[in-house]
Amino acid sequence: MKRLHRILWGGLLAALMLAPAATVAAQELSADEIVRKAKHMAYYQGKDGNARVKMTITDDQGRKREKELTMLRKNMDDQDQEQRFYVYFHQPADESGTVFMVWKHVGKDDDRWLYLPALGHVKRIAASDERTSFVGSDFFYEDVSGRNPEEDNHELIKTDDTYYVVKSTPKPENKAKVEFDSYTSYIHKATFLPVSMQFEQGGKVYREMKVLSVKDIQGYKTTVKNSVKDLSRGSETILEYTSVKYDIGLPDDVFTERYLRNPPREHLE
Amino acid sequence: MGDALVRFGMNRPWLVTGVIVAVSLAFVVLPALPSLWPDAFPRLHPVQVDTDPENMLSREEAVRVFHNRMKQILALHEMVVVGVVNDDHADGVFTVETLANVYELTEFAKTLTGENVGQDDPYAGVKVVDIIAPSTVDNIEQGGEGEVRFEWLMPAPPATRDEALAVRDKALRIPFLEGTMVSEDGKALALYLPISSKDLSYEVYTALRAKIATFQGSEQYHITGLPVANDVFGVEMFKQMAISAPLAMLAIFLLMLFFFRKLILIVSPMIIAMVSVIFTMGLLVVTGNTIHIMSSMIPIFIMPIAVLDSIHILSEFFERYQETRDRRTTMENVMRALFVPMLYTSLTSAAGFASLALTPIPPVQVFGIFVGIGVMIAWVLTVLFIPAFAMLIPERRLQNFGAVHHEDEEKTLSRGFLKWLGELTFHRAKLVLAFAAVLVLVTIYGISQIQINDNPTRWFKKTHPIRVADRVLNEHFGGTYMAYLALFPEGDDPGALPPPPAAQAAETPAAETGAPSLPGGLDAGAVAPELPEGLGALNDEPPSRADSAAPALPAGLGGEPEEVEEPAAAPVPAAPPAEEVFKEPEVLRYIAELQTHLRSTGIVGKSNSLTDIVKTVHRELIDGAPESYRVPDSPAAVAQCLAQYQSSHRPQDLWHMVTPDYRVASVWVQLTSGDNKDMSKVAAALDDYITRNPPPRALKHKWFGLTYINVVWQDKMVWGMAEAFMGSFLVVLFMMILLFRSGLWGLLSMIPLTVTIGLIYGVIGYIGKDYDMPVAVLSSLTLGMAVDFAIHFLARSRTLYARHGSWEKAYPYAFGEPGRAIMRNVIVIAVGFLPLLAAPLVPYITVGFFLASILFASGIGTLLFLPALVRVAEPLLFPKSKVCSITCMCGTCVLTGVTGLLLVAVNVYQFLKVGITTLTWVTLAVLPVLAIGCFLMSRREKCRVQCDEPK
Repeated sequence: MKRLHRILWGGLLAALMLAPAATVAAQELSADEIVRKAKHMAYYQGKDGNARVKMTITDDQGRKREKELTMLRKNMDDQDQEQRFYVYFHQPADESGTVFMVWKHVGKDDDRWLYLPALGHVKRIAASDERTSFVGSDFFYEDVSGRNPEEDNHELIKTDDTYYVVKSTPKPENKAKVEFDSYTSYIHKATFLPVSMQFEQGGKVYREMKVLSVKDIQGYKTTVKNSVKDLSRGSETILEYTSVKYDIGLPDDVFTERYLRNPPREHLE
Repeated sequence: MGDALVRFGMNRPWLVTGVIVAVSLAFVVLPALPSLWPDAFPRLHPVQVDTDPENMLSREEAVRVFHNRMKQILALHEMVVVGVVNDDHADGVFTVETLANVYELTEFAKTLTGENVGQDDPYAGVKVVDIIAPSTVDNIEQGGEGEVRFEWLMPAPPATRDEALAVRDKALRIPFLEGTMVSEDGKALALYLPISSKDLSYEVYTALRAKIATFQGSEQYHITGLPVANDVFGVEMFKQMAISAPLAMLAIFLLMLFFFRKLILIVSPMIIAMVSVIFTMGLLVVTGNTIHIMSSMIPIFIMPIAVLDSIHILSEFFERYQETRDRRTTMENVMRALFVPMLYTSLTSAAGFASLALTPIPPVQVFGIFVGIGVMIAWVLTVLFIPAFAMLIPERRLQNFGAVHHEDEEKTLSRGFLKWLGELTFHRAKLVLAFAAVLVLVTIYGISQIQINDNPTRWFKKTHPIRVADRVLNEHFGGTYMAYLALFPEGDDPGALPPPPAAQAAETPAAETGAPSLPGGLDAGAVAPELPEGLGALNDEPPSRADSAAPALPAGLGGEPEEVEEPAAAPVPAAPPAEEVFKEPEVLRYIAELQTHLRSTGIVGKSNSLTDIVKTVHRELIDGAPESYRVPDSPAAVAQCLAQYQSSHRPQDLWHMVTPDYRVASVWVQLTSGDNKDMSKVAAALDDYITRNPPPRALKHKWFGLTYINVVWQDKMVWGMAEAFMGSFLVVLFMMILLFRSGLWGLLSMIPLTVTIGLIYGVIGYIGKDYDMPVAVLSSLTLGMAVDFAIHFLARSRTLYARHGSWEKAYPYAFGEPGRAIMRNVIVIAVGFLPLLAAPLVPYITVGFFLASILFASGIGTLLFLPALVRVAEPLLFPKSKVCSITCMCGTCVLTGVTGLLLVAVNVYQFLKVGITTLTWVTLAVLPVLAIGCFLMSRREKCRVQCDEPK
């Protein structure tokens, strides 16, 4: 009898201890929270950072083109909102020195600058559509800078052992600005890294972003290889991030017009 | 042998009929089964339609291979063009209402993929990413101070008049769109819908028409483009075959009823015609051939030839029946008289058509071979079935058949006419021949005026929607006929490169990712991606790639480690990349010069190239001023402009103009005319310009695109046909010499044919009708028909001469029954095919018109010029010596030899393409040997004994 009691109590105790943990994970996080966390993991880890990126664009005929760039990033607040980017192109040789700079804002249009060395010209790029190709690749500008979660309604449609599966649909006022009807994100439960995003249009997936490799860098779970595949074009772009560094103490003035013509060499290697 | 065959039919009429019915059924069922239930009969060939003029060239043809290769490496597709026009509204098509419709139509066009166009591949159909329409193209312009703006030209339908007009003004600032998508006057817009395969254009066309029908606006819509024209033609062709062939049959039937008055008897030729067509077409399909524009004409060619022999038999039967009033005796007599001429006419016709197999154009070869087969099928059926059928008719039903009614109006008329004609050729022979000589001169002039030209759009009548669209859109735009000019460095051979092996690799991931999306995208479990490398899967075992229920974790989070990571530090020293020629400013400027020159031909309304893109992007990146619309001065500047151009919604657009390695560039040339002769002019003008102004780098240029392909196959067709015709002319002449055992008679029998061809071509030259595909094919029909008449007339004349002793006594008989049979044939077939004139498709009208002309011309040739010649050349034609073997007659022997020699020469030339000069010398060398040989042979003792004996 005693033994039985012990077993029962033990079982109950175990159940009491484990059950809340499970329910908290499943119930307490709303779809919006999951998406916010995912956004942080994808775009806002650390205070700042840099990464050398190799971009490989493969078209539907298997022809490859490569570009190499360095991306500097700095968070301007701790709300995962204001942020600055500085993208410097190393390769191909004839595009070397091209700089693309962004002051990212939330709630209003980003400021973007472009410097083309061969034309000797700094040009502001009018903020408009963010769903245009990033330098001819299958990544959109928005894939690189991060889509604002406020633009969409999110619904947690499934949770399994590994993923939160969130379906996002643009809010009615944003419908006309995007080409997709909805997209489904597979967000890794343990890390909140969005492992895959599948964009749908007219009932079929036509575009897919995938994380292919993740590394722990300075304690940050970091995507070091990802891809976007455009099924309607049959092309794919893979980004490989080498020498990622966080919290390198980038000064604010790197992200100013002055540095477009005179790149901050020490941060570009 | 002839007698046996005929008797067989007469003795076993039911057996013959039964076999024919059974075989016919088989030829209907065998193609029908796999067409209706393709899965149940995978080994049988279904009916396959092919309306693609591109298939006039063999798949291995260099031009076609290059065309397809270029289309592949530049990712170009054939396009359906939708024109939107409003000439009445002051703002043209740039009104709120019209642009709303255009927007809706574009959105609709985007849905025309996958199952909506009946395809399994979800990306088949309209290539959505490459649609050119106001709502799918990018605008690049100045924003604020020092600011450049990239955006959709028309992201949403405009709400106000100002917004609508702004769309026009923006588009007109972009050279790529002006004259291509938007007309200069703003009265018209064109949407370009690339399609994955030409076969889908009809589906797309029909769907677009249905959608357009729901619009209320005052604007008009026109749909055109070569693939649409081809597909619509194919569909109409079938309707046409279903209407005009039976209509022609009906007309022939009615005319025969008028001539022979006996319904039961004239049913037999109709059956022969129908069964011949069924046999031939059945055989065509069963052997796996496609029904091409050419082969769709086979029935129309076989029908008259099949009826021809039957009419000769019936005509003769009709004349003789009352003599014996016994169908068996009459039929036996008739067949005895006609068997040899019928065999020869069929053989010559068949040989004439079969010679088309020598042309280098696959559909023409198929056409020739099968018409040839059809002619022989018709012959077998005629000699077997017509007598058999006559035996099946009870004697009493023939009681008042035949030439009993002397008051018969038709007969008196024709008899009177033929009598007058006969006397004319006898008494005024020289006058008739003088007339013929004048005619020859006149036709030679006509022939010199012939214009070789074709244009698949012109296969439709002027009032057909496709033709109307063609006219209206070419008035507003820089032209809707696309030709492409490929430029590449000398030494490169982009056309010969095999498809890169990586193409397969690129396809695989698409299929792989396509799979999980199958269940409609809602079943999240099924579409879940694999966890990437690096993401620790929570379950112990890493998910296998095969059951991709969940995404694979990435390496670093517990997913499968990536294939061995290459150390970044050890890059393989690659060969220096080939020079990117089309980033060179001077090369780009040279392309602009070529474009300017093309434009100056007056045929090219517009052209687009890489240069235009570079200039436009450069202008907007600098300041938007017209002075900045130029090619920048360094390759790096060009590269940077293009990189920005690609930061758009349509990065792939650039690769339609140049390959990613910058080694092949294409210039899109819009022609306002799809006439082959115009395309040829443009090509010649360009060659000339390039010769006089060599490019800054050693560049080669080559055309491709459907408009150009048409030129190539037509050129091949015209010369191929000419050679094939020469070949068949010689074959027929050779056969005629053998038949009549006389060179002179052989030549004589070729006269109606020669006259007819001359007349037809002369007329074509005079009336300015283009020498196109249908006309070219008709030449071979002429060969078949005209020789037919000549054989019948000459063979009978010779028999009659032998019986009556002189032409003066014989000719009235020749103008009796044989003359009447020829006249009946002329009338029946010529009139029978007049219904084709009402056809909506021009090639059928051409065939109808020229078929009638051919018949009349060969009738005249046979009944007017032949007897006149016989009259003049009587002593030569009817020598007082016995007919002896060919080798004994020096002239005939030489002629036979020469014909045979030429025949061999023509064929060898076609197969080996030996230079015409080499062959000429060989031929000339053989000729004297031949002549001496013949001379010696004819002087043999044996010949002297055999031939000099008086008759």
